[in-house]
Amino acid sequence: MSDLRSSIETAESGRRRWPWITGASVLAVLLVAGIGFAVTRGGEAGAAAGDSGAPVRGGTLQFALIDYQRSPDIHWGTNYAESLIGNNVTDKLTWQDPRTGEITPWLAEKWEYNIDLTEYTFHLRRDVTFSDGTPFDAAAVKANFDQYVHGDEKLGINPNGAVLLPGYVETATPDAYTAVVKFEKPLASFLQASSFTANAQPGFLSLNTLELSAEQRTDPTKIIGTGPFVYESWEEQVKTVLVKRPGYHWAPPAIGHTGEAYLDRIVFNTIPEASVRTGSLASGTVDATLDVGTTDEKPLADQGFTIISRGVSGTAIYFNFNSQLFPTNDIAVRKAIQLGWDRTAVEKTVLTGSYRIATSVLADSVQGYADYSNSVLKYDPAAAEKLLDDAGWVEGTDGIRAKDGKRLQLKLLGINNLVVNKPAYESVQQDLQKIGIDLQLTVVPIPDYAAQIAKAETDWNITAANRSRNDPAALNLVYAPTLGNSSYLAEGKSTGIDIAEVSDTLAKLETTLDKTRRDAYTKAAQDLLLEKYALVNPIYNPSQVIAHSPKVHGIIFDAQSRNHFVDAWKTK
Amino acid sequence: MLRYVTLKVGRALFVVWAAFTVTFVLLFVLPANPVDLLFDPAEINSIPAEVRERVAENYGFNKPVILQYLDRLGHALTGDFGNSVQSGRPVVTAITDVLPSTLVLAAAALVLAVLIAFGIALVATATRRPWLRDLVEAWPSGAVSVPVFLSGILMLQIFSFRLGWFPSFGDDGWRSLILPLVTLAVPVAGPIAQLLVRSFRTEFAAGYVTTSWAKGATRSGIIVRDVFRNAALPALTIAGVTFGNLIAGSVITETVFARKGIGRMTQTAINTLDVPLVAGIVVLVAATFALINLIVDLICPVLDPRLRAALTAGAPA
Repeated sequence: MSDLRSSIETAESGRRRWPWITGASVLAVLLVAGIGFAVTRGGEAGAAAGDSGAPVRGGTLQFALIDYQRSPDIHWGTNYAESLIGNNVTDKLTWQDPRTGEITPWLAEKWEYNIDLTEYTFHLRRDVTFSDGTPFDAAAVKANFDQYVHGDEKLGINPNGAVLLPGYVETATPDAYTAVVKFEKPLASFLQASSFTANAQPGFLSLNTLELSAEQRTDPTKIIGTGPFVYESWEEQVKTVLVKRPGYHWAPPAIGHTGEAYLDRIVFNTIPEASVRTGSLASGTVDATLDVGTTDEKPLADQGFTIISRGVSGTAIYFNFNSQLFPTNDIAVRKAIQLGWDRTAVEKTVLTGSYRIATSVLADSVQGYADYSNSVLKYDPAAAEKLLDDAGWVEGTDGIRAKDGKRLQLKLLGINNLVVNKPAYESVQQDLQKIGIDLQLTVVPIPDYAAQIAKAETDWNITAANRSRNDPAALNLVYAPTLGNSSYLAEGKSTGIDIAEVSDTLAKLETTLDKTRRDAYTKAAQDLLLEKYALVNPIYNPSQVIAHSPKVHGIIFDAQSRNHFVDAWKTK
Repeated sequence: MLRYVTLKVGRALFVVWAAFTVTFVLLFVLPANPVDLLFDPAEINSIPAEVRERVAENYGFNKPVILQYLDRLGHALTGDFGNSVQSGRPVVTAITDVLPSTLVLAAAALVLAVLIAFGIALVATATRRPWLRDLVEAWPSGAVSVPVFLSGILMLQIFSFRLGWFPSFGDDGWRSLILPLVTLAVPVAGPIAQLLVRSFRTEFAAGYVTTSWAKGATRSGIIVRDVFRNAALPALTIAGVTFGNLIAGSVITETVFARKGIGRMTQTAINTLDVPLVAGIVVLVAATFALINLIVDLICPVLDPRLRAALTAGAPA
């Protein structure tokens, strides 16, 4: 700055002092006061309202969840929002009792099957209509199953149900209210599939909807089901609004609800951020929220909110061992891993009361589940070390064992879609380190997982995932060499494993619906997978957790842990 | 002049085409298969091969990559980007559906950001107290370093959950715009303010300011009448960068505030390898980017007499 200028400027009289300081300090004081006020005002939300009593009719339930429906078409979908909303817009042939796993009537009043389990005859209710007024009958069942399994290329509809109903041949309609569903091979799990409520579910759509292309089905008002609610609107990324279906009176008898839904309307709000979901619940903007994080459960319960949950039925979150790849091709290593990690540490540091440590490859809500927590699925580091010693694994200088100069290191591929996964795996990793096993974790988002799984046979020792299907035949789907083959069983490569034995044992799960026999087959399958060949190390049972205001009642968790709102109500 | 315009327009078109092509290549180089992502990840192993093939056929993923590319490029030229793999909706509808929401947010955030930036520059230049100048000048780098998701969640905690002044999510008129708008404006204001502070300082030291002083003008008079006009022009040249910041910021802002918008749609589309949707969004963003830079390039000669003189003399820009 030139001297000339400074002299001019300093010569200028200070007639106008910029009021910066005053301004800035006022602003600062206001800001501090505001924050202070805000902080002291917290923590007065959610005081208990009237306790339960007679259900109240009417009202809108504001529900928050992490995902949104990418299309209102309920036949496709891979996320929870899609299956959850689909369940309230459409009905299924049968209802699986979430407590007993038993299949009970819904749109089908009764059913029988042939001895081979290749033909299932359903006798339908005669008083059910779609919300466009057309009747629900055998023709509707046939049209739905045909399109669900085969898709429709001209309409751009994918074969969404092909995985659920393998070997589907056709549906015969001997009369207007009898549907006979036929399969190529025995398919005992079809009875459970007829009640299936998870992703890409067999809910029934009106014939008018089935004629529409994938593009036309993005208009929610054209997605017509028989369910207790109908679509009012669907806004991608934001929300789906359902309204009560007048005249609905065919809820599953097993849930004990007669007549229409209590609520007038449900708004499913998509809120991706966990702290915004819980904050919105605490401030009363939403009445209930799904996808409650483990660390949020206790604070919300302390504020007076009700936490409800149900373990996901199907398999536990498991480590599936690659039976071909070094070093998981050694049964001693697989068994040592089963014994080598501390269950109570995971339970105490990672899980909440809503989750449980796995005691079998199946969740305990699945029929035929057996408990292995006293045999192979317990923490016994001494036994694990002995197994490794006997198999010739010697501890090296870095504390990791080795055999023939090769380190005992394993690569695990997992998905980070559940917040509990990574910390749980890390706890296992630390324990295994102590007995000389180097477990290397790669826990990634779904697209990366999907990309890697294609190379899992040659690249990954362990894949970690789970399967949501409340039927013991899930084991066949996941492990049968001709189906999921999650242990990568192959003749000549999976040493020490009788592959025909695995195939036969698992295939039996599809051959009977006699409870005693099926339970025995289920036990045999678990024995084989967990004890004899140690192909899997189950970790924990995931759970769906909802926190809701004390004003909300009657949210149902079904056998797949999806929610139904037909019986839900809200005190004013 | 004509040559200048043709050159700039040509460059803009090239940028859009290149963005389309690079995106296409990237999506195909990624190891994941878009077909797999239409199924439950736990089921991927058990999907029968023929089902996989049929689904691939439905979307044309079974054709050779080069044919897919030419096919998509040809359709894109006519404004048809196909249908989203994940929802089945036409890409153009999906985008135009969420675009207004992002535009409103971005435009409002831009206005606020510019106001903040000029405020900072004016204070920093006008004040005669060094500590205040230092404080204000530190603000832009501070604003850029606070992650948007953090400031967004803090704002929600205070103004929505505690005070209840604004809704915490959704799209509910102007009240649900305030918090995301402020969250987004703060980091966007940073670079603009930084640039303005510097150019205000340079201009304030220029010769004509001394002349004004000599003529007896007051400090505030000089800043408003002389410095402001000359120092504001450089801010225009970073319009492109600003636009980039707005888009990047909107991904997180829209997620935190659960608003619909292009930012969130981009993120989902990439996560699910929704090739047609990603291509549509990229072309939209690239075209906007190119257009903004084109406008700036064309406007600068109008505003700056020196550039105009150079162009009319026929010299390359």
